[in-house]
Amino acid sequence: MAEPDVVHSIEFTLNGERHEATVSSRQLLVFFIRDVLGLKGTHIGCDTGSCGACSVIVDGKLIKSCMMLAPQADGTEIETVEGIAQNGELSVVQRAFHEEHGLQCGYCTPGLVMAATFLLRRNPDPTEEEIRRAIRGNICRCTGYVNIINSIQRAAGADSREAA
Amino acid sequence: MLLEKVAYARPDTVAGALQALASSDGAAPLAGGQSLVNVLKHRVASLDLLVDISRLDELRGVSSGADGSLEIGACVTYDELDHSEQVRSAQPLLADVAGHIEDQQIRDRGTIGGNCCLSDPTNNLPPLLVALGATMVVQSAAGQRDVAAEDFFHGYFSTAVGEGELLRCVRIPPLSAGSGAGYSTIAVGADSKAIARAAAVVRGNGTIDDARVVLACVAPIPTRHAGMESALRGASMSAESARTAAHEIGAETQPFGDAHGSADYRREMARVVAERAVMQAIADGGGDRG
Repeated sequence: MAEPDVVHSIEFTLNGERHEATVSSRQLLVFFIRDVLGLKGTHIGCDTGSCGACSVIVDGKLIKSCMMLAPQADGTEIETVEGIAQNGELSVVQRAFHEEHGLQCGYCTPGLVMAATFLLRRNPDPTEEEIRRAIRGNICRCTGYVNIINSIQRAAGADSREAA
Repeated sequence: MLLEKVAYARPDTVAGALQALASSDGAAPLAGGQSLVNVLKHRVASLDLLVDISRLDELRGVSSGADGSLEIGACVTYDELDHSEQVRSAQPLLADVAGHIEDQQIRDRGTIGGNCCLSDPTNNLPPLLVALGATMVVQSAAGQRDVAAEDFFHGYFSTAVGEGELLRCVRIPPLSAGSGAGYSTIAVGADSKAIARAAAVVRGNGTIDDARVVLACVAPIPTRHAGMESALRGASMSAESARTAAHEIGAETQPFGDAHGSADYRREMARVVAERAVMQAIADGGGDRG
């Protein structure tokens, strides 16, 4: 068993690359990602697990990175919004948010892109209700969600067109 | 937010976790963290050691018996309950309830054990587990003991899990022949904090032979309503019986009031959700759907 300690060596995969780091027990994953790894795409909103701006994908699961401790990332695969575009090409979800104008101020957008990406991996052809439920944990105070839902619907349609 | 200074350990076994928990008065188990991390942020509790049990294989399994019984490890997440074929098949209502807890991110981390051990009176799973007659298996270094779900919840944020113990798993017996289960919530918003909640299991064939009705959000712990259960016994399996029995909820029920609903409003809503839960249980068991 690992000795209880306040400093931990962790290994993880971030957007496909192996990393090692030393983290403090009391560090939240979101601050590790932003302040130590320097990836500012993951936003910090409420810091109480309510707004979803800090959503990332850990081991294939959508999670709020303000509700997980950095040492808990040991041995995991983390995906942040920076890893969603491949070879400089926007992902289908990102392109759909652009085309449908699924944002206004953009603060919630990285979290919503992660939530939409998670949804479409699990359910490539969601109903509007399934989309609404899938983004329940992500608060947007600008758009009223209509264009965000349009964006995810467009991404789902584009996915099935590309698959065809 | 920076938490107060705290140590973190991730033992490989339940025995190791119990040992780590015993090493300090300020040690606490960390499962999904969807409540505990906020507790730490808000300095509501001051801990010196977090013992991460979320990845322990011993606490992560779901198994089902040929008779439809289930054993669910304490660190099985809500999302896993929602998507487990075994849970869907043996207790579809439990899968549905778990699949409507808050949001995807919380369902990906929050666990059945955390939902129970926190013992927040508005939590989703406790009233259902009491209605289903679940057994909570509590582990200490000395061994395991079984606690009926009905006796597990002791008060606000207090359960039968004592010092040096962990909840290991939840065992759920199959519904007996002729039984159905129901669950109803009135919440602040979709899948959010509950104002009133009820779960029910009703057994009968034309006439109700037995009923368990559990109210939540009206007392510190999920509470069976004896008056309503006795009004249902011997009544016809009908919507009318559910409605009549729900009127047994009265002055003996003394809910708390808060920003989301006064005590009187909560009592009224307890009648509504209790009636709905019983009606769903009757329909689930194949009784009169009218």
